[in-house]
Parts: sequence; structure tokens; C-alpha cells
Amino acid sequence: MARTNTTVRRTGTVIAFTLMLLGALTMVLPFLWMLSTSLKESKLVFDYPPQWIPNPVEWEHYIEVWHVVPLATGLLNSLIVTALVVVVGTLSSTMAAFAFAKLEFPHKGAIFAVLLATLMVPIVVLIIPQFLIYAQIGWIDTLLPLIVPGLLGNVTMIFFLRQYMLGLSTELLEAAKLEGAGFFRIYWSIFLPLCKPAIAANVIIVFMATWNDYLGPLIFTNSPQNSTVQLVIASFSAFHAEQTDYPMVMTASIIAVLPVIILFTIAQKYFVNSFAFSGIKG
Amino acid sequence: MRRHETAWGLAFVTPIALQVILFCIVPVGIAIYAGFTNWNGLSGRQDFIGLENFATFLTDKYFWIASGNTLVMLVPIPFYLFFGILLAVGVHRGTPGSGVFRILFFLPYISSIVALVVLWKWIFNYQYGLVNQGLALIGIQGPDWLGDPAWIKTTIVLMIAWKLIGITSIYVLAGLNNISETYYEAARIDGASAARQFFQITLPMLTPAIFFLTIIGVIGSLQTFVEVQLFTADGGRDYSAATITYYIWQKAFGSNELGLASATAVFFALVILGVTLIQFRLSRRWVFEGE
Repeated sequence: MARTNTTVRRTGTVIAFTLMLLGALTMVLPFLWMLSTSLKESKLVFDYPPQWIPNPVEWEHYIEVWHVVPLATGLLNSLIVTALVVVVGTLSSTMAAFAFAKLEFPHKGAIFAVLLATLMVPIVVLIIPQFLIYAQIGWIDTLLPLIVPGLLGNVTMIFFLRQYMLGLSTELLEAAKLEGAGFFRIYWSIFLPLCKPAIAANVIIVFMATWNDYLGPLIFTNSPQNSTVQLVIASFSAFHAEQTDYPMVMTASIIAVLPVIILFTIAQKYFVNSFAFSGIKG
Repeated sequence: MRRHETAWGLAFVTPIALQVILFCIVPVGIAIYAGFTNWNGLSGRQDFIGLENFATFLTDKYFWIASGNTLVMLVPIPFYLFFGILLAVGVHRGTPGSGVFRILFFLPYISSIVALVVLWKWIFNYQYGLVNQGLALIGIQGPDWLGDPAWIKTTIVLMIAWKLIGITSIYVLAGLNNISETYYEAARIDGASAARQFFQITLPMLTPAIFFLTIIGVIGSLQTFVEVQLFTADGGRDYSAATITYYIWQKAFGSNELGLASATAVFFALVILGVTLIQFRLSRRWVFEGE
């Protein structure tokens, strides 16, 4: 009996492993092909079966691509937008989350409910009026529409961090108050350090969303000098769709994807855990 | 001290309150108002025209084609739920290599949609794409994935399902971690098979996670836009891939019919809200609510 159970379990593990391996290949092969194509001579691109390790390996695309498209401008703009939104936006979000979790002030519950309700509003309802507002104040074709709202905080991040802080002991707060610490100090030196893992998880999410955003830049900017990296790649691939410049398009795409993959691989532990503790029951 | 606390509390929430008012509440108000006007954004004139915009899009053939396409975008949901659950169960039971697999399954989710579409356009190219060349090896003439009106939707549906498996599995994993081991111990004592344990314990206990995923999945699917915009030049041949959000975008920024686009957007928002409420109502029948 015991032996059959072990056999069943082993068979299960083999099946599970095989399925996961197949799944993982489906996820990864396209990216490997992208990498492989970026290192190919143009004339080898259509070979079938594809050469996975190109011969010769053409590193030149990684140098040339900067001259072919305004990739540097796109990366710089994306970097400016993402850095400001992530750093300043995280500060304002953590402050709000701390206030909602640990401080008492009038209409707290109502204000929080309104914040959550706004998550239900479809983006498509917001973009037309936002466009009109930005047009009125002269923000169209600048990076401001991509930066300013993000500086003020992020409702999803506030929600997750508030849940996390609710789980932290209020006695800490009371003790700090007795010792005469101000509220800003309590937030900065006690709660902020305690929330590090939760903040790390949210930083990845906000970084990803901002760096990968395509809709915002598409609608609110139009000239090349204000393009983010996503717009640069999109227009590059549109222009070159029917030409043989695939290695170059793949090279540019890899450069755009790399920052997120690096950040995610370093910090994925926090990212994955954040979903476990934030729970689903609400 | 109390007054102090109130002041700090209000100060801390001021930035996000400003953001929500300026970039969400005010725009919603403008959208509702604009929906009843003939605003074209160019002349600066806007006259109140009542329900005319609503009559215009409700009688527009393209609006209804877009509505049908939007419903097709719901198709990926069961696929990524199925594979997401499968993957999560595999990781949860500690299959060797789970940690690495988990990162690999995330690659599509964390990559930018722009790079993914570049890649897919290349893989699904009619003449020289990897997929059709592979099919040719076994003697099948592959379809024109990107040009044919029926297949372009299939391509988009496949991509969305593929992209969301990883993140779905993380939510399911969180749900699995919430299930107490005592249920399984009791089942084993009763001699329940692995399959029976899965269908009698695991699946029912996962229904809250699955419910959450269908709620955000439906809201997201109904708003599909970026894939359509990137895959097709103009919504696809015969508008075959255009969704409602694409229709609204085209009306607003393509032909400057801002009033009409606003009316459509407001109507569509109400439809999404309605669908979500119905889902919550139906959830009582199938979501496990705890003992």
C-alpha cells in the first residue's frame, strides 16, 4: 500500500514537472528567439529550421541601433518619468497608507471609500477629458501628463500598504507618542522601515506599469523628442514591418525589456510574497 | 495631540485626494457632460444635443461589430485560469525547479506589450513566421494569422491568455496557501484519492481566488485596446479586431468626435459596472464563503 502511494506520487511529480517544463518553454522560447534574431545577419533571419545560435554572431546591431532610431532619447524620457513616479509616488503613497491605517482624522472612512471607488472607473472614460484638460493647460506633447498624476500617489499601492500596516502593532505608535515623537517621525523612522518588503513589491509593480506604459505616451505626446522607449519601439517596428530589418527591431525590443527583467529577477521574492500576504479575502 | 493628529492625517492624504479629484472625479464629470454635446474639440463650440450621441453610436454598424469583438476578448479567461491553476498546483506541491519555472512563467507578464507584439507579429507572420513554417513541416498550410479577419482575433486571444498565465498562478498560489492542511489530513484518513481531494477540497476552497480573478479579468478583457492598436493599422480588415475601446479611441482622436466618443465611453462604463454587479450577484451560487 505504502509503495503504491509512493509510486503514484512519483508519477504525479514526473507529470507535473513535464507539464511545467513544456509551459516554461512556451513562455521562454519566443524571448530566446528574439535574442537570437537580434544577433543574426539579416539574410539568416528567415532560415528554417531557425538557427538558435547564429553563425556568425552579429553584436553590431547593439551599437548601430542607437543611430537608426532615437532610442537614447526614448530611454532617457522613460527613465525620467519612471524614476520620478516611482520615488516621489512611493513616498506620497506610503504617507497616505500610514494615515489611513494608523491615524484618526475626520471622514477617513469616506475618503478611503471614494479612493477605492475610483479604481472601478474604466480608463477609456478618463482619457478624453484628461486630454482636454492637458490641452487647456498646455501639457500636450510634454512629459508632464505622464509624471504629475503619478507623483501624487497610486491608489492600488495605498490599498495594499494600508492592509499591510493594519497588521502592524499600534502599541509601537503609542509608545513612540509617549516618548514625544512627532507623527512624521513615527511614519519615517518606525513604519517605513517595517514596511520595506511590502514597499519593494509595490515598487516593482509601479516601475513595471510606468516603464511599460504605452497608452499614456501614445495619447499625450507626439513629437519624437518626447517619446518614451515604448513609443520608439512601436513606431520603429511599424515602419520596418515589411522590411528585412528584424534583427534591429529585436535588438531595440530587448533593450527596452531588459530593465524590467533585471529588476524583477532581483526582487521577485518580494513580488511573489506580496500576493500571498495581501490576501484575496479583502 | 488630537488636533495635531488630524492635521497630519489630512496632510498625508492630501496628495492622493488631489490626484483623485483632478485626474479622476473632474474628468468623469466632464465626460458625462461632454457626452450630451456635439463637441469636436476643434471649434471650441459645444452645444447641448441631448441623447443624439447615444442614438448615433447605437445605430452605427461599426459599434456593433466592435461590441462582438469585445465579447471575444473574454475567451482567454478560462484558458489562463485553467493553466494558471495547473501551474499553481504544481508549484504548491513542490515540483522540482518550481522557483525557476515561476520566474520563467512571468516573463510575458513583466515584458512590455510593445515588445511582445513585435515578437508575435514576427512569429505569426504568414510567409516566414515560426508558426507557419513549423506547420509547413507537417504539411499544413498555416492561416494568415494577422491579416485574416477570423484569425487576427484568435492571435490576440492566444497572446492575452499566454501573457496572463503567470500572474494568475500567483493569485491562485495565494489561495492555495490559505487552505488549512487539516482538511487534507482528514480526507486522507477517509481514504480519498488525490483527484477526489482536488475536486472536493482544493477547487471549492479556491473559488474566492477564482472569483476575484474573473472580476478583474472581465473588467480588463472588456477594455482590450493596446493589442488591437499595435497588431492592426486600422482595427483590422473589415474592423475585424476593433474593440469598443478602440472604437472610442478612433472617434475621439481619429475623427475628433469628442462628444460622441464621450457618450460611448460613459455608456460602456455603465455596461462594465452592470456586468460586474451581475457577477457579484451570481457569485453567491458558486463562491465558497468559509465555514
